[in-house]
Formats: sequence, C-alpha cells, structure tokens
Amino acid sequence: MRAGSIRRFEKFALLLSVSASVLILFLLTPLIAIFTLTDLHALEEALIKNRMLSTEAWEAFAVTIKASLTASALLLALGTPLAYLLARREFTGKYLVEALIDVPLMIPHAVAGIMILTAYGRGGLLGSLTTSLGMAVDDSFWGIVAAMAFVSAPILIDTVKVGIESVDPMVEMVARSLGAGPGKVFTSITLPLTLKSISVGFLLSWARSISEVGAILIVAYYPRSVNVLIVEWFNTYGLSYAIALSIPLVLLSVALFVVVRWVLRK
Amino acid sequence: MIEIKDLEVLLGTFRLRIPRLVVGSSEYLVVMGPSGVGKTVFLHTLAGFLEPVRGVILINGQDVTQYPPEERRVALIPQNYALFPHMTVYDNIAYGLKVRGVSKLEIQKRVREIAEVLEIKELLSRRPSQLSGGEQQRVALARALVVEPKLLLLDEPTASLDPRLRGRARGFLKYLHRKLRFTAVHVTHNLTEAVFLGDRIAYFEGGELKAVMRPGEFVNSHWARPYIDEVKPLLAIMQAR
Repeated sequence: MRAGSIRRFEKFALLLSVSASVLILFLLTPLIAIFTLTDLHALEEALIKNRMLSTEAWEAFAVTIKASLTASALLLALGTPLAYLLARREFTGKYLVEALIDVPLMIPHAVAGIMILTAYGRGGLLGSLTTSLGMAVDDSFWGIVAAMAFVSAPILIDTVKVGIESVDPMVEMVARSLGAGPGKVFTSITLPLTLKSISVGFLLSWARSISEVGAILIVAYYPRSVNVLIVEWFNTYGLSYAIALSIPLVLLSVALFVVVRWVLRK
Repeated sequence: MIEIKDLEVLLGTFRLRIPRLVVGSSEYLVVMGPSGVGKTVFLHTLAGFLEPVRGVILINGQDVTQYPPEERRVALIPQNYALFPHMTVYDNIAYGLKVRGVSKLEIQKRVREIAEVLEIKELLSRRPSQLSGGEQQRVALARALVVEPKLLLLDEPTASLDPRLRGRARGFLKYLHRKLRFTAVHVTHNLTEAVFLGDRIAYFEGGELKAVMRPGEFVNSHWARPYIDEVKPLLAIMQAR
C-alpha cells in the first residue's frame, strides 16, 4: 500500500517535472540564443573598438543606470511610507488608492508614456510646475526617470506592503506600550523587520526600471537610454549590433535576480 | 490606582460599557467572561490603542483618556508575547528603557536586576526564536516590568503554554506579584488561574462589566457556573474511578 503510494507520487512528480521542463526550456532558450548568436566582432566594435559607437553605447548605459537608480531611490523614499499606510491603516478610498497603484501593471507602456507626457510634459497638466522645477519630462533625463518610476512603482509598493503586513502588529503595539512613539516604532521595529522586503522591492523595481522602453520612447527619446539605443541600432545596423548592446543588459538582469533570490533566502 | 468612569468603547457594531471600575494600587485584577465580550477591547482601551466614545480613565488620579499608548506607562503582554524577533533577549528587555532615554549604564544595571528576579540571566544573549514558551513568557514579563509601569496588562499570558508549564507559570506570576507589587489586569478563560492569581475577578458579559468580586465570592456566584459545569463531567469520571 505504502509502496504503491510512493509509486503514484513518483508518477505525479514526473508529470510535474516534464511540464516544468517545458517552461524552463521556453524561458532559457532565448537566453542561450542571445549568447550563442553574439557576433564577437560586432560586440568588440560596439563596446570597445569603434569610438563613435562605444561612446554612444556607454553614454546610454550611464543614462539608464543613473535614471533607473534615481527612479528606484525616489520610489523607495516615497513608496515605503505609502506601503506602510496601506498595510497598517484603514482610510476612506483605500481600495481606490490600491487600484490606482496597480494601474501601470495593466496599461500598455506606450500609453503610460502618453499619460506621463500629458501630465508632466511642458504642455501638460502640471507642465508649468515641472518646468519651473527644472524637471520637465519632454526629452529629458527626468522624463526617463518619470517613465521608469511610473511603471515600476507597483512592484516596489506591493512588495514592501506585503513585507509590512507580515510583521505581527502586536509587536508594534507592545513597542508603543513600552514608550516608543509611532516614528520610533517604525524605525526600530517595522523597518528592521521589513528590510528584506524593502531590499527585494528596491531590486525588483530597479530591474523593472532598467528594462523599460515603451514609455521612454514616447516621453524621452533623448538623452538616449540603452533600451532606446537597442531599438535604434536594430533599425540602423541590424540584429548583431542590437545583440551586442543587449549582452551587458542581460548579464545585469541575471545578476540582479540572482541577488534577489539570495536576499530572499537569507 | 486605576479608575474607570462611565466608559464606552465602540468598535464597528460592538459596544463595550463599563459604568465604574476601580483597580487598587498593587491589586491583581483578573478579567473573565465568554469569548467576544470585549475583554481584549478593554485591555487595548486601557493601553491607549482604542479611544472611548465616552467616559474617563484615571491612572493615579491623572486623566489619561486622550493620552497615546507611549505616554501612559501601561505595559502590555499579549498572548503570543510579541517579543522583538530581530533583537536579543537583552535588547528586548532594554528596549523600553532605551526609548525613554535612560543611560546605558543604568539600562545595564536594571536589565541585570530584572533578569535575576525572573531567572533569565543565562538567556540574555539569545534570540526569541531560541526560547521555549515559558522562557518567552518570562522575557515578556521582564521587558514589561523593567520600565516600572503604572499598570501591567496581561492578555491570556498562559494560554499558549504547554498545559504542564501553565501551573508553574501561574506560580511564577504570583511570586512576581508578591515581590514587585505591580498593579495588573489579567485576562483569562481559566477559572483556576483566576482564583489562584486574582485579588478580585471582574466578569464581562454581552459587552458589559457585570460584576467585580473576590475569588471566593465569584466561585459561589452564578457567573462561575459555566466554568464549573465544564469540569463537572471530569470530576464525575474521577469520582467513579
């Protein structure tokens, strides 16, 4: 009877393994393909030898890294308090706020770009404000930051919110009964206990920011970020140069997700 | 001394009413009543987490009804003890002193003293995850008592313990109360615990404080009948054997 149960389990496990392997192969093949199809000559030209191309490429990488880090840092600073409010407080319109936060996950990113432009562009709803602050989004660094922050905000907010929700509220209540004000409770109890979620939220939102292209193409084609440049090189120089430019991005993404898994396992 | 006058707390559709209740200085008041009658709501109101719609709470003559929890000096021990999982036992106990700005030297002295009284000196460098249920309870007591609260609130503090440890934990609470003479409000479902620990027992039913009496009077009152009825079949079986 027992041996039969084990055999049945093994069959089930085999079935799971087969279906899992199909999906893993589907995800892995493009990753392998991009490396096997890399034209080393084009890679060398694009990133090292050809001065014009390599300058253009590394400048675009710098813009992407700088903008994505700025977007994620801004989200961390503004998104963590919002996640805390959503996790710990009940207020009128909470469900509406939660739904609004998740909107960028559902709308096409080109549409997100148009929305950002109509809101924060020079002729947009808050155009005069962003212009006076030197943060007008049309074809500017801040445009890239806005597009990246818009599409990756739900990832950071939702990850941090789930982390805060997993902290026993009683622990915070006890801390208050021992004499700590709400701010002190947040910094000494909630924050250390959600550090893992906050780190993962930051890394995931950063990864999402790096990968954004649709909204950036609409809002800020210039200064050229690396994703925009990949599209441009694909159209101008062909696939091998687009792949050459993609390789560092793919390596960075893999490294980021390895770090995320490592943080989660710690 | 804790004085409650004409208190009314509203939580959704639930209403808790306490016309008048006085807890004497160093008194150990046990709160009993069926589930859902508002015993925890009462504790959370005393701690300052719930704001009453009516009435006043006086602690040593001072009206604290509008005070936030951190300004009341009312320490709370919940059922799961809620130890800070990212801190050592020492840091857990020292927390309340640290946030009040007590000097490092004074913190060390007071943590050592309370750890000695609660017999947990050898646990100070451990993490809460490395402690047994009984040890966690002692750490929670030390953490609450080290700040010398005007009132200690205990929400079913022995409920999550192994039944064999419960008796010992009760004995320890009794010993601690005799030694430190703190004022306590202790919620329990256990009649033995209430009679053993309580100077008086407050009985809640239907969101209202119904009676406050000495343990001897309570056991003989009709309020205690459901608890006694619960053990009657067991007594009958034992007598039959």
